[in-house]
Amino acid sequence: MDSRLLRKIFLTGFLIIFFSLFYYQVLKGEYYLERAKNNYVRVIPTFSIRGEIYDRNGIALAYDRPSFQISVIPYQIDQKKEMLFTEIAERLGLDPQKIMRAYKKNRMNMFTPVKIIPDIEKFEAVQLKNEFSEDIMITPQPQRFYPYQAAAAHLLGYVKKASSFYETLKRYGYTPLERAGFKGIEQYYDTYLKGQDGGDLIEVNAKGRMVGFLGERKPERGKSITLTIDAHIQQAAYDALEGKTGTLLFMEADSGKMLALVSRPAFDPHAFITGEGLGSIMKNEKKPLLNRTVQATYPLGSTFKPIVGYAGLAEKKIRPGTTFRCDGVFKVGIARFRCWSRHGTQDLYEALAHSCNVYFYNLGLLLGGEKIARWAKAFGLDSRTHIDLPHEKKGTVPGPQWKARTLHSTWYKGDTVNYSIGQGYFEATPLQVLVATNVFATGGYLVRPHLLHKVEDEISGADKREYLRLNPDHLETIVEGMRQVVTAEEGTARQLRSLHIGMCGKTGTAQTSGPNHGWFVGFFPYQRPHYTICVFLEHGESSYEAVKVSYRFLKILQEKNLFSQREAPAL
Amino acid sequence: MIFALPRIRWTPLKMLCLCLLFLNIVGLLSLFSSLHQGGEFRGHEVFLKQISWLAISWGLLVLFSFINYRIYHDFAFILYLLNIALLITVIVAGKKAMGAQRWLSVGGITFQPSELAKAVTILLLARCFTAAKHSVFSRSFLFPLGLVALNALLIFKQPDLGTALILLLLFLLMGFASPVKKKYFIILLLIGLLSVPFAWGMLKDYQQKRLIVFLDPNVDPLGAGYTIIQSKVAIGSGQFTGKGFLSGTQNQFNFLPERHTDFIFTVVAEEWGFLGALLLLFVYWLILRKLLEIAHTTKDPYAYMVVAGIASLFFLHVFINIGMTCGILPVVGLPLFFMSYGGSHLVVSSILTGIAFNIWRRTS
Repeated sequence: MDSRLLRKIFLTGFLIIFFSLFYYQVLKGEYYLERAKNNYVRVIPTFSIRGEIYDRNGIALAYDRPSFQISVIPYQIDQKKEMLFTEIAERLGLDPQKIMRAYKKNRMNMFTPVKIIPDIEKFEAVQLKNEFSEDIMITPQPQRFYPYQAAAAHLLGYVKKASSFYETLKRYGYTPLERAGFKGIEQYYDTYLKGQDGGDLIEVNAKGRMVGFLGERKPERGKSITLTIDAHIQQAAYDALEGKTGTLLFMEADSGKMLALVSRPAFDPHAFITGEGLGSIMKNEKKPLLNRTVQATYPLGSTFKPIVGYAGLAEKKIRPGTTFRCDGVFKVGIARFRCWSRHGTQDLYEALAHSCNVYFYNLGLLLGGEKIARWAKAFGLDSRTHIDLPHEKKGTVPGPQWKARTLHSTWYKGDTVNYSIGQGYFEATPLQVLVATNVFATGGYLVRPHLLHKVEDEISGADKREYLRLNPDHLETIVEGMRQVVTAEEGTARQLRSLHIGMCGKTGTAQTSGPNHGWFVGFFPYQRPHYTICVFLEHGESSYEAVKVSYRFLKILQEKNLFSQREAPAL
Repeated sequence: MIFALPRIRWTPLKMLCLCLLFLNIVGLLSLFSSLHQGGEFRGHEVFLKQISWLAISWGLLVLFSFINYRIYHDFAFILYLLNIALLITVIVAGKKAMGAQRWLSVGGITFQPSELAKAVTILLLARCFTAAKHSVFSRSFLFPLGLVALNALLIFKQPDLGTALILLLLFLLMGFASPVKKKYFIILLLIGLLSVPFAWGMLKDYQQKRLIVFLDPNVDPLGAGYTIIQSKVAIGSGQFTGKGFLSGTQNQFNFLPERHTDFIFTVVAEEWGFLGALLLLFVYWLILRKLLEIAHTTKDPYAYMVVAGIASLFFLHVFINIGMTCGILPVVGLPLFFMSYGGSHLVVSSILTGIAFNIWRRTS
C-alpha cells in the first residue's frame, strides 16, 4: 500500500494550477485588468431572417421586413440622456417621455446597448446617424409583418423575443435576443422558420468605439413554409364572422387540407411585436387570444345526430323507414324532455332534416349510453385531431363507465336522452366536430386536418387518413338525411338551398349556461363532396345565426369565384 | 500567552470538517455574489435551494460515517449493476437538459446518475484491485478495466464526456496507488494517448467544437469560446488581491455565463484575487493530504483503496475544473466539488467523505 506516487501526481496538478494562476493573475494581471476595465468584449448581434409563411397560392401571410432600431449605451449617455432624448424625439416627432420609458424599461447595465426606439424607416435612421453619431447606435433588425393582420392571427400566431420564456427555451438552444414563435404556425413550425442569429464579437474601448474584432458568426436564414390555407378564403371566413364570437373552419374533404381556420374575436399580432395595444387585448372579456377552433370545447348539440343516426343503423336498432312520433315532449319517468317543435311522425330522413329531438331520444334509449359513446369514439370525438397547431385540446366523450370512473355516480336514462342530442357532459372542439362530420363526406375516412403543405420546396406529405370500414349504405342514408336538412321544405338549413352548391349538413343549437351556442356543419357538393365546413357561434343564440354566417361565407366565395374556378391549385 | 486557547487535537476528521465548512461558506458567498447583479440580488430561490442541499449533504455525511464501510466491499458488484441499470434508464427515459440526457427525475427531484457512477466506480475498483490474486493480469486489470469502460461508455452516450473521462482517469490513478503492477497502467496510458486521434471521430459535434475552441477560443467567440475568454479576463483581472466581494465586474455585469455552476472558481479568483484563489487551493490540498493520511493509517487494503480513490476523484475534479476556468484545459462541464451550485455532486461527495470518516473511526 503505497500512495507516494498518488501524492506526487496530486502535487504536480496543484503546481500546474498554481503557476497558471500566478501567470494570469500576477504576471498578466495588469493586462487582464485593463481588458476588463476599459476594453469590453461585446457581442453585436446580427439577426437572421425568419422564414416566410405563404398560402397555397404563394401569397405571403407572414414575412420579415427590414426596419431599424435605435439604441444607446448607458455608459456613454447617462449624463446627458434627458437632452439627447428630447432632441431625438423632436427629430422624429415623438414624445420624449416615451423614449425615456423605453430606456428605463430596457436598461440592463451600464454597458449593454439599450433599445430606445424599436422601428424607424431607413431614411430617418440615416438622418439620425448623421446628427447623433457619437451617442446612438443604429442596428438593422428584421420585423415580422402579417399582411392579413387579425384575419390569420390564431392560425399563424406571432413572434416574440425568446427572453420572456428564456428559462424554458434555452435548453432548446435559443438565445434571449432571438425571436421565437408563439402560438399557431409560428410556434408549431418554429424549428423550420427560425434561422440562426449570428453576431460579431468586438472589443470596444471606454468610449464605446470598436478597437478590435475578435470574430463573427454569420446569421442563417430560416426556411419558408407554404400552408394549405387559401388567403382569400381565410379573409372571407374572417369577414363572414364579423361581429360574432365563434369559429369558421373550411377544409378539403378528402385530404384534410385546411383552407380557412378562423376564430373570432381575434387580435392584431403586431401588438405583440410593437407592444402597443396589448393591454386592451389582455383585458378583453371575450378572450381574443383563445383559439376557439382547437383550444376550447363546447357541447355539440344536434350536430351529433347524424352520428347517433348512423349508430342506430349500424347496431340494427332502426332502419331508415323506422318512425317515431313526436308530440313535442318526451317523458322518462317523471322527467320531461322537450323537442323544439311538434313534428308528428318522423322517419330518419325527416328527423335529421327537421332536427327532431324526440326521434333521437327514442333512438338513444334503444342504443344505450355505452353504445353511443363507442360510436362517438369511432368518429374520432375522443381523440385530438393532431392538426399542426400547438395546444390542441380534445373534448369529453361521456358514458356510463366514464361517469362511474370520473364522477363516481350512476348513469341515468336521462343522461342517455341528453346524450342522444349532443347535450350533457358531451363536449368537443369545433375542429373535432368538423373532422367527425367529414367522415360522412368521404364515405368513411377519418382525415387528419393539417395546415403545412411545403417546407421550402419539399412537399410535407402530411395527408393522412384512416379508413373506418363503415357500412356504405348506412352512410348514404345519413348523407341523404343531411341533404334534406337543406332541401326539405322545413329543413333547418334551407336558406343554403339558394346557393345551388349541393350542400349537405346539420344544424345545431346547443344549450348551455347563457345564450345557446349555434352550429352549422356540412359538406358539398353532395354527389362527390369536395369541401367540409363547420361554423360555430359561441352563445350565438341559435343555429339559424350559424347558417346565416355559412351563407354569407359561401356567398363571398361564389361571388369572388374562390372555389369553382380555383379547383386548379388543388394541392 | 494571556488567553489560553483550548487545545484541540487536529485529527484528520476534525481537520476535514473544518475544511469542508470553509468551502461551504466560501461557496455560498460566491454563489451570493454570482447571483448579485447591478446592485440587486436576483436569486433567492437558487440560494435557498443550495442551503437546503448543504443541509442534506451534511446529514448524509454524518449518516454514512456510521455505516460500516465493509458492506460496500461485499455489495460492490450489486451496486455496480444497479448503477448500470440507472444509467440505461437515463438514456432511455432521461430528461433532456441542454441537449444532453443526464438527468433522471424521480418525484420532482432531478438527479444525475453519472455522479453516483463515480462513487460506485471507486467502491468497485477498490475491491477488484485488492482481490486475493492481485498479480493476475486478467482478474485485477482487464476485468475492472472492462467494468469501468462499460460504465464510461454509457455515460459518454448521454453524452457526458467529462464524467466518462473522469472514470477512466480514476481507473489510472487508483491503479497507480494499488498493489497491481504499475506497468499495466503505464502501458494503458500510452495506448490511450495514442488513440486520441481515433477517439476524435466518436465525439459529438459540440464536444469536438469545445475541444477546438479550447485550442483557439476565437473560433467560436459567441459560444464556448466566449465563456473561456470571459473567464480568463475575470480571473486575470482579479490580480493579486482581487476586486473585493460583490465587486467583480466580469461577474456582476453578466459577462460570464454558467458562473454559479461550473465557473464558480472564476468568481472567487476575480473577487478575492491570487491570494484568495491560493487559499482555496490550499484548503483543497489540505483535504487531499488528510484523506491520504487516513489511507495510510488503515490496515485494511480495501479501505486504503477506497480512500485513495476518493482522494483521486476529488483531485481530478479540482484540477480539471480550475484548469478549465483558466483555459489550460478544455471546458467539459465538471462541477467544483463542495463549491458549485447543484445537488447531485454535493450529495455524492458528502457520501464519499462520510465513508472516509467511517474508515478513520474504525481504524483509530
